[in-house]
Parts: sequence; C-alpha cells; structure tokens
Amino acid sequence: MIGAGELARFAAGSRLFATGAAESSYRLVLDWAGSVIGPGVPVVAAEALAPETVCVAVSLVGSTTALGEQLPAGDEPVRAVRALERRLGGRVGAVVALNLAAENALLPLVAAALLEVPLVDGDGTGRVFPLVEQTTYTLGGVSATPLALAGGGGELVVLETAPDRVEAVVRPLVLAMGGWAVGACYPMSARELAGALVPGTVGRLLEAGAPGADRAVAAPYGMKTLCRGVIAAVEGSSGHGADLELPSLPSSIVVEETGGLRRLVRLEAHNEIVLALADGAPVAMAPDLICLVSAADQLVVDVDKAAPGMEVEVMVVRAAPVWHTERGQELGGVRAFGVPL
Amino acid sequence: MIVGVAPGRPATTVAAVRDGALVFSRQLPAAAGPPFGGLAKLAGGLGARAVCVALDLEDAELAPVAAIRVGGPCPEVLAPHPAHPGGATTIVRGGHSLTGRPLAPLDVDAVRRFAGSCGLSDFAVTATGSPVLADHELAVAEIVAAEVPGARITLSYEFGRAGLREREEDAMLNAGLGPAAVRVAREVGQALEGLPPYFARTGHGLVSAHYFRRYPLICRFGATASLARGLAVLGGESEEGAARAFGAALGQPVAEVERIVQARGRAELDRVLRDARDEALTRVVSAGAAPGSASIASLTVNPLSYLPHGLYRVRASAGGATP
Repeated sequence: MIGAGELARFAAGSRLFATGAAESSYRLVLDWAGSVIGPGVPVVAAEALAPETVCVAVSLVGSTTALGEQLPAGDEPVRAVRALERRLGGRVGAVVALNLAAENALLPLVAAALLEVPLVDGDGTGRVFPLVEQTTYTLGGVSATPLALAGGGGELVVLETAPDRVEAVVRPLVLAMGGWAVGACYPMSARELAGALVPGTVGRLLEAGAPGADRAVAAPYGMKTLCRGVIAAVEGSSGHGADLELPSLPSSIVVEETGGLRRLVRLEAHNEIVLALADGAPVAMAPDLICLVSAADQLVVDVDKAAPGMEVEVMVVRAAPVWHTERGQELGGVRAFGVPL
Repeated sequence: MIVGVAPGRPATTVAAVRDGALVFSRQLPAAAGPPFGGLAKLAGGLGARAVCVALDLEDAELAPVAAIRVGGPCPEVLAPHPAHPGGATTIVRGGHSLTGRPLAPLDVDAVRRFAGSCGLSDFAVTATGSPVLADHELAVAEIVAAEVPGARITLSYEFGRAGLREREEDAMLNAGLGPAAVRVAREVGQALEGLPPYFARTGHGLVSAHYFRRYPLICRFGATASLARGLAVLGGESEEGAARAFGAALGQPVAEVERIVQARGRAELDRVLRDARDEALTRVVSAGAAPGSASIASLTVNPLSYLPHGLYRVRASAGGATP
C-alpha cells in the first residue's frame, strides 16, 4: 500500500537514480499524487492478480521541462486509460510503471488512484531508457501498441502501428501537444506482465527512500562509483548518432577526477548518459545506467543542467540481467544509441 | 573607500573597507536616530564611493499579492497559492508551449475584470511558456497598468526559472516584498543624502537601489549571505554586525538572465547567445555596475532533453564594479 505516509518515501526513492527529471515536474506530480491518493493505492505483485486481469503501463511521454511549464488539467491519466479500454473492449484492472524514475514512478500512482485499481510492484526497465519501446515488456514479446496519449490541452490519440514505428509517430504528436503527454501503453494480461517485468522495484524504492537508507537498495543488480570529480566542460558531442531518430541532441560532459588517478572522464549523453570514457577508454556504457550525483545535495544532476564547476560523483547502476542478453543489448545497449562499440 | 552597513537593533554597524581589507568598523551613534542616522556624515567624511547595505527582508513584511496566471485549468493543488491571506488569484486562458506556439489567445477581458476588481496593487504575472516567449506576460502588464494606476507588477519571466509554479512562487514573493523594499530603499536613500546605496544579494554580489526596489526577492537574505561572506574572510571570532557590514562591502554588482531559446543551426544559436549576453550586460549596469566595468562572468547552454533539436536552456551571468 502507498498512502499519504508512504508517498514521501516512495518519491524520495524514485529520485535516487532518476536522470532527466526536472525538479519542477517532480514536485508537480508529487503534489498531484498527494491530492488524489486518498486512503492509499494497493501495491500488488503481478502474480497475485487474476491471470487475465488487463494491465497497462502508464508513463509520461516527452519532456519533463514541458510538463513543469504547461501544467496538466488533471484528467490525462484517466482519459488515456479509458481510450485504451474502449479500443480493447475491456476494463483495465491494474496499472504498472514503464520506469520508476521520479515523475514516471509517481504518474502511474496518480493513474492507479484516479482509476481505483492497484499498482503492480515492478516496472518495465529497472532503469530509464529514452524510447517507449526500450522496455523489458518488449523483450518479453509484448507490443507497446495500441497506445493512447492524452495531452494537457485536451488532446487524445489512440495509436496503432508496428512496434518499431512507435517512436517515430509518437514524437511529433507529443510535440504538437506542447511537449508532453500521458501515455497508456503495453496492454497485457497479468500473466504476460508477470513474465516480462522487472519485479519488486516499487517495494525497493519504498525501502530505499526511507531516511538514512543506503542508495544501493534502489539498485537490485549492483552499483559502483566510477569517479568523483568536477565538471570541466559541457559541450556538443563528437556527433555520434546524428542520423538516429532520438529525441534531442547529443552532448558531452567532461569530468575531471579530483582524487586517485586524476583521470578525465568523458560522458556521452543523448537524453541519457550512454557511455563513459576514462582517459579515452570505455569504462561503462548502456544498458547499464550512468548518472551524475551532485556532491552538494546528493541528487542526480540532469544532463541538461550539468554545468562546469559542479562537484559530482559518476555512478553506474547495473541493468537487469535481461538487458545484458543479446536481444537486450540490441534494444538498450550502447549501439542502440548510435555509438559503434 | 567602500562602506558596508549592517542595520541592527539597538545599533547599526558600519564597516569601512579599502581594497578588500577592513579598515575599521564601528556602530552608528544611537542618538542620531536608528537605523541610519549619522550614516551620511560618516560615509561623506570617509569619501566613500559606495555604501552597501546588508539586510534580510522578513516574511512578516509580505504584502498581499494579486496573482495572475496565464494558462489552462489544473488540479486545485497546482493552482497559485499566495502566502498572504489577503491575496487574490486568477487563472486566465492564454500562454505558449515551449516550442513557442500559442496555446490559446490571451483572455484580455478576464485580466481586465480581475485587475479592476481585486482591490490590490502588487501584481505577480506568470504565463505558461514565458521563458521562451514573454508576450502574454507583457500584454497582461499593460492591461493591469491601465486598469490600476500605480500598480507594481512583477513578471515571472524576469526570474527566468524553468517550471511554471516555481517561477510563479518567485514572482508572488517578489511582488509581496515590493512595498517593504520600496520603504527600505527610501529610508536608506534619505539617510545617505545623495550617495548611491547598494543592497547585498542572497548568494553573492550587490544591486543598486533601483534594482532592489524592482527585484527585492534576489536580496531577501542579503544579511545572511553577507554575514557568511564576512565571517569567511575575518574568521569566526569576529563580531556579527562587523562581519555582516564587511561582507556586504566585499560585493560587486551581479545580474543574470535565464531563458529557453529556440535556435536552428549554429548561426541562429550564436545570435540568441549574443542577445542573452547583451541582456545580462544591460541588467548588470541597471544593477549598478559602471558601464565600462560590465563583463560576462559565465554563459551556459544546455540542449533540453526530450524536446526537438534546437531548444536550449541559456544562462548568462554578468558582473561589474561600483563606480
């Protein structure tokens, strides 16, 4: 159960490795969740649901900066899920997260509260990937479509397309809606979900978000510190991936290690950090999650807020085992971001 | 010589500073009338170039604010909530998306009705998308100024922060601090008899009285910041008032600009960056820097994630010297 008492813990846990999360959109969805959570949302294991229960993944699609600027009307999660129900001809019995980073952990909670259904304990990445189809649900053979998008201006779109066309079609739609939308996608039975999700991650965040808890609790497959240092430069990157369909431009962040070997660590970012090079040699890469944690407040530094002079810790969180399979590497590995390694 | 002033009860402390070093500090004679009596005589006698005041603006002094948000409907919990119980709020249609597209035409009638009927004169205006395009905030300001003679109007885009609610909170707080700032600036101005006063910012740096009246929020914790700065140089053993006055006198005018810009290609980006630099330089001169001394201290450009190519967050900071 996540009620008013657990919400702060869940929210704090969801930020421990959240990249690309704007402060304003996080606060916004947290306040929103607090106002709709009522007596609380039950958190259940996928296996505990009746096997034929229809489950959908709910997520923010698009830009957190845009959400922080153009506020939701409040009915987006319900409109998106109801639209999907009309298409499916059945009622949704549970909501699950696409990923559990900041607002993407809280938005499914808002949806579950508004729809009065449980939230499934788990998610579809175990980390964050920029594309809607980069999920363990895809790896488990579930299609992201039919997919419904509800925008803050009352827009509603139900989309059917081949899975590898989702991103190309969704991006311009979301942009036309102002830069963000609430997406309801991956409709599947509880049985399918049980076989495809990264399990137990909601419970982990509730634990990891408790005051004084170890950050490592939020990293079930392990984590390490790559280096501690100071951001020396933020620049346009060497230009990898220029021909790819990815939202936003690539950029590079150079961190100068303050102790140890005083290495220059170069981070190649494309919405997320996808590759870390230490003195030119690759030391970490997608599908593992690479993030910058500020020494000042222990919060993850957004790629688009990184600035020279910031003291940071570069952390690597190991991805769920399924991401390290051949198919997982293909979908979420460093080559999927256009880096020829 | 630069004079730092730490207003306090029962007495105000003054620090005389030359080339960044404390020459002396003393308390103003209480008989001359606190908090600033005797200041002009002392500063004039020292041949002071500038007088820097370190004070915190207390929340207790917040005036009731009329908050106008331009944007769509939202859950009640996300609506504007002014700090003062006497405040008033409205949400009117309009605003722009981050890509600069109009979301709806500005509801000018609703703005006029609210301005004319709210009975308040300190306004905070926040439009959706104003870091990209401030047109609707400027249009609201024009209507309010026509409707409420003498209104003081804070526009959120001047604080630049991304996030509508954060910018709105800044704007409401700034508007609420306005009357107190005007009063303090007048008191200090009268006490100085013509010498230009400066006010310590939260963080570091100073601004002119003109800038302080307009953007009191950036000086909200000027005394706290000056104290930290003064103690860092003088050491923790020093007397608090002296450290605070000294810390203020160490500052120089600082101003910044934050925007979200759209630029397709290098040439256009160079142009918008030049605009941001020019604006930061103009602002720091307005904040009291001698025109020849103004220079850009930092410029950061970050592409925005999950938005189309060509959208950047730009932050320019400029510094200068007191005349």
